[in-house]
Amino acid sequence: MTPHSIEAIALTKRFGDFVADNAVSFAVPAGETYGLLGPNGAGKTTLIRMLTTLLPPTSGAARVRGHDIVREKTAVRTAIGTVSQAITTDENLTVRENLSVQGKLYGLWGGELSRRIEKRLHQVGLWDRRGQVTRQLSGGMRRRLEIARGVLHSPKVLFLDEPTTGLDPQSRRSIWDLLGEMKASDPELAVVLTTHAMDEADFLCDRVAIMDAGRILEEGAPERLKRTLDTGEHVAIETDRTVSDSDREMLLALGATNWRSPVDRHAEFQSRPGEGIGRRAAQLLEEKGYRIVHLTIAPVTLEDVFFSYTGRGLRE
Amino acid sequence: MTERGFRPARGPVLALLGILAVCQRAYATLWRQPVLLVSTMLFPVVYLLLLGNSLNRPLRAVPLAVVDEAGNSLSAECLRGAASLESGRDLVRMRILADRPEALAGLRRGRYRAVWVLPLGLARQGPTPSFIGDNTDRASYDALESALREIWQEVSAGRGPAAAAPSARLEAYPYLDYVTYLAPAVVCLAIFMGSMVAGGLQVLEDRMYGYHEGYLVTPVSTGALVAGHIFAGAVIASIAGAAVLICVLLFAPVPLAGAGPVAASFLTIFLTALAIASIWSLLFARAKHASVLRGMFGIINAALFFPSGALYPIESYPAWLRSVSAVDPLTYGLRALRDLLLRGAPVAACYPPWLFLLTFTLVCGVLTRVFFRREI
Repeated sequence: MTPHSIEAIALTKRFGDFVADNAVSFAVPAGETYGLLGPNGAGKTTLIRMLTTLLPPTSGAARVRGHDIVREKTAVRTAIGTVSQAITTDENLTVRENLSVQGKLYGLWGGELSRRIEKRLHQVGLWDRRGQVTRQLSGGMRRRLEIARGVLHSPKVLFLDEPTTGLDPQSRRSIWDLLGEMKASDPELAVVLTTHAMDEADFLCDRVAIMDAGRILEEGAPERLKRTLDTGEHVAIETDRTVSDSDREMLLALGATNWRSPVDRHAEFQSRPGEGIGRRAAQLLEEKGYRIVHLTIAPVTLEDVFFSYTGRGLRE
Repeated sequence: MTERGFRPARGPVLALLGILAVCQRAYATLWRQPVLLVSTMLFPVVYLLLLGNSLNRPLRAVPLAVVDEAGNSLSAECLRGAASLESGRDLVRMRILADRPEALAGLRRGRYRAVWVLPLGLARQGPTPSFIGDNTDRASYDALESALREIWQEVSAGRGPAAAAPSARLEAYPYLDYVTYLAPAVVCLAIFMGSMVAGGLQVLEDRMYGYHEGYLVTPVSTGALVAGHIFAGAVIASIAGAAVLICVLLFAPVPLAGAGPVAASFLTIFLTALAIASIWSLLFARAKHASVLRGMFGIINAALFFPSGALYPIESYPAWLRSVSAVDPLTYGLRALRDLLLRGAPVAACYPPWLFLLTFTLVCGVLTRVFFRREI
């Protein structure tokens, strides 16, 4: 059996009376990208800080590449790479100098350090800017530099804490592509990612955990989570005349839920994903003599799953 | 974790690489902020020029009113003596008045710093001259009172002011003005400023802006990170101190001879910088915000600079302040620099201060290691 890259057992962190993480347990095998989703204050960043040895847990245990995060901190630090929410590259240093400093902190030096800097800068598309002072880079470039810095020493576990926050769509996509390339070049690399962007988690993660109030509420592959949602698919049907009450009852019996008719001749409802209820409803209405003017079936998104567990209320 | 057979350094080599990395970053950062470096060095030089030329200089042309009510031979001698203060040392600008109330009114209006009254019937057995001085200005008061009392003593002894024989004075070293005396203190001030900017401020900024996370998650030991911060701060502070020393040598030539004292001076600068940088590291081992630095700067500056004997001899301090001086690294840096630069002492005279500075650095370094926040 492949040992887990990360294994957390009942990991808890308290700050006084406040419980940031409450008995969190999960495991990430080598090669997997694992997403931590949750509203602000859910405990994601605290969890990552514990796993990266930046915060001691109050109770519970965790191992990274088999090393205990409390007793074997140096071994954990050697095995991991981090890209934190904060910009940790020095804006006064050049792109190359930032990586040179980072490499030394991981025991790299001489020709090997130069070779790895060149490799990573080519990988993140910053080789041509290696002599540029970091403050002159765009936000997307700085994020790419952060990632290059995080993987310079070829870690086996990479922690990414909201790596694309504040970036434009092109920069986000380039970072997604970059992570894909890194995973392809090192099949053992395990990635733990926190993000508020559900499309990002859907695109990048093999499995996600939905967190709230310091607990993991649900965990699984994005597609599986979407399938478990009872009322996920959004169906909107525009007909040539208003759907009668009896026909509406027929569609509700088919499996439509949350029926609403915002304007005349328009009907909206939700249905379980993957059962084709929207298309069958349209067929039934046509058989009843309605003309379908417009039909939209929006698939379930991870955001729907997220809201179903965490609700829509604002957090402090 | 090897690529093509390369094995990253571990243990002591990793610690050395860690120290090197912290230093590399500190130097590159400061190199790209030359304003910070220049102002660090400029402050002590300005201090030297302004303080050195404004403090402890001889008084000149202090306005003095003399009221001669006696009009006898003794008062004439006294007037000659006072006139010699004007023509010789240029201590006073003398005005002879006949009316005592007018003189006193002038004193109260600030026209005169003192009034010397030679009363009616002035005689050796009395009545004697009266000195009425503006004691809000203590320096002028003391200087005038002392000079006029000396004149009366000479006159009343029957020698007359011209006959006053100078007392014998021997100086062990070549003449030094106050600017030169201040020079080693200004070098120490540059070290203090440099280590604050490069050591203390950098550590705090790293914490505030999150840069330090990049250090904390690496396998480099906490001891190496602490040593790196102290060493980086000390080297930059030494550069500032050495640059100021070179300026000092140009502005205020000191009786320094030979390559040995020069090299020993630079070594003293480095050891003092290490000790001061270690203080900043210890103070900021747990601090998180720059407001801490703003709050501490004035206190630390006063607590290190003034007790060191930088401006005035330690021998004049009360006992409690002397005990502060005894543990102040600037005292030892300053002592070694004064021995080398002003007294031409042999290098061996610096061994005790150097030993103290090294021990101080070691103690602060160990304490910093104990208190250093490796966590967020």
